[in-house]
Amino acid sequence: MLVIKDLKARVEEKTILNGINLTVGDGEVHAIMGPNGSGKSTLAHILAGREGYEVTGGEVLFNGKDLLSLSPEDRARAGVFLAFQYPVEIPGVNNTYFLKAALNALRKARGEEELDAMDFLELVKEKLKPLKMDESMLQRSVNEGFSGGEKKKNEVLQMAVLEPKLAILDETDSGLDIDALKVVADGVNSLRSPKRSVLLVTHYQRLLDYIVPDKIHVLAGGRIIKSGGKELALELEEKGYEWLTDPAKVKA
Amino acid sequence: MADRSSEGKSVTDMDKMKLENFPFEDAVQFGTASWIKEARDKSWQRFSKIGFPTTKSEFWRHTSLDSLMKHYFCWGRVERPSVDVLDHLRSLDFDVEHSDVIVFVNGFLVRKLSKIGDLPDKTVMKTILEADDASIGSAFGKVLHEENRPFAALNTAYFTDGLFLKVPEGKILPRPIHIVYVTTDGTHKCQTHVRNLLLLDRDSSANVIEHYLGENIQSYFVGAVTEAVLSRGSSLTHTKIQQETDLAYHFGTLSVRQEEGSKLTSRLFALGGTLGRSEVETCLAGHNAECLLEGLTVAKDHRHMDIRTFVDHAVPGCKSEQVFKSVLDHEAVSIFDGRVLVRENAQKTDAKQSNKNLLLSKKALVYSKPQLQIYADDVKCSHGSATGQLDEEAVFYLRSRGIGKEEARKTLVYAFAGEMVQRVGENGLKAPVHKLVNQAMGWEGEAL
Repeated sequence: MLVIKDLKARVEEKTILNGINLTVGDGEVHAIMGPNGSGKSTLAHILAGREGYEVTGGEVLFNGKDLLSLSPEDRARAGVFLAFQYPVEIPGVNNTYFLKAALNALRKARGEEELDAMDFLELVKEKLKPLKMDESMLQRSVNEGFSGGEKKKNEVLQMAVLEPKLAILDETDSGLDIDALKVVADGVNSLRSPKRSVLLVTHYQRLLDYIVPDKIHVLAGGRIIKSGGKELALELEEKGYEWLTDPAKVKA
Repeated sequence: MADRSSEGKSVTDMDKMKLENFPFEDAVQFGTASWIKEARDKSWQRFSKIGFPTTKSEFWRHTSLDSLMKHYFCWGRVERPSVDVLDHLRSLDFDVEHSDVIVFVNGFLVRKLSKIGDLPDKTVMKTILEADDASIGSAFGKVLHEENRPFAALNTAYFTDGLFLKVPEGKILPRPIHIVYVTTDGTHKCQTHVRNLLLLDRDSSANVIEHYLGENIQSYFVGAVTEAVLSRGSSLTHTKIQQETDLAYHFGTLSVRQEEGSKLTSRLFALGGTLGRSEVETCLAGHNAECLLEGLTVAKDHRHMDIRTFVDHAVPGCKSEQVFKSVLDHEAVSIFDGRVLVRENAQKTDAKQSNKNLLLSKKALVYSKPQLQIYADDVKCSHGSATGQLDEEAVFYLRSRGIGKEEARKTLVYAFAGEMVQRVGENGLKAPVHKLVNQAMGWEGEAL
């Protein structure tokens, strides 16, 4: 699904990614953990195609294709989805209009027929239910005036509607209370399938209690310094990141 | 009502510009009533004294007339427009079947192109020149301030004709009055001066659309003045759609006087022309009078769009709200100069004013000048102005969901401008205004 080879990137003069190597197979869920400033979000942004980062080396293959040469919209059309850490408020753009435009853009790219308003509404109402979202959210402007939890749920709703091949969740757990976290995690879990891979970017182990990953990678200083199974999260929870980033200090 | 025409004057000397281009003798032939002659005389004297303004004047600081002065505009004449006006309106989604449509071509009424249904008893709907109603002579020119306003004075001196509408007490006009002012693609660059007078008697109500459009591919000049008197409890919804063609000059004023409990809703869509200036002013002269002034400017290329508003809170207990937006691309310039005057005795005034501008290019320019002049102490007044660019974060957000870059930008631009279309409300105007705004953005055929 996703192969990242020796990816290096910087913002202006500051190097953020220092040679990332990562392979995510079909249907796998990988978690990227790491302390603040380790480059986790940068990696997520670069995969989604956000401007402002300069890739200075390496490559990213998505189902064999060079992902980095694609525009953000073409990545989305190819099946990449980024759930934003800070979803953007867009006053004046109706949430339903937005979701429908996005879905139809993807369908069009896949050579499928675009959905009309009626069919779309039926589909989206189905997707709302498990997220415990009120239908009134469809009529509001995208994320405008949404609470933190509502924004994150709206991200998961978009994911559910767009059905990506690779979902990248950038700190989707941040700012969520435990109830909202469960709902969001259930939403993500319900989308797990042998053909859909998930990359969870998170600071805390908490989310991984609900979305159990196949693999965990610890990112620090712009590289992956340790990879392991789900038990790695517990070890991190217990020992903190310093255990890996500054072992001398821990030993002392 | 009848058709009128005048012979177009040929252009012989391009150097004889400015005032020589607007021969007074030609104008006086329009209208024989003594009150018209007197008004023309007085305004002509006034105009001769002040002449065309320069940027030295505070009111014209950002709007230079240099390019206007390079043209020589002769008088237009009645011509058949190249398109069927009613069909054209239908193609823009106007609800022609449920409107009264009055068509002026180059400043002259053309009855056979117009469509007027039954109106309530005692409604007067004529042209200014034909009106014999006693009220017209005493009302004409009484609302408009011509002091230091050259184009207003010029209009009185020069107007060819326009609509006189008098809605009798307690009557509600059953349909919108859609007045179309077409400038045709004649052989000459032409000048048009139109003048309307709307009198709403007590508790009456009317919905008037002033729609300016050109099929002239050359430069032309349109000067337009509408005066309205809203008697006690009456209500006027006035929508001006300025959709002149690319090389046109448009100078228009809506001037209103509101009596007790009257309500004015004025909407302005400034979408065309190379240089346009639209003024909206109202005097809240009776208790509990209310006005809502809205406007949307859409400009690209080198268009220059100047919007001026003036709300005069002359008595206590009145309410005014202004919401103006502009979207500018390329090297377009827009000006919003909105002034609210709260006079000393106008206690309990509630006045709001907002101006927001969206710049789509680095070279687009906005001058925003909201002004509150408050001389009373017990009032509720607010104003705000904001100018910004497209939110690139939002563009990325949309693109990350598969929406193309251009589509994403359009969606966001329309999210900003569309508010003014939404505010039109659920009536027959929303669809055509939506379409026209899309056209003005250059999105024909792929409207959002």
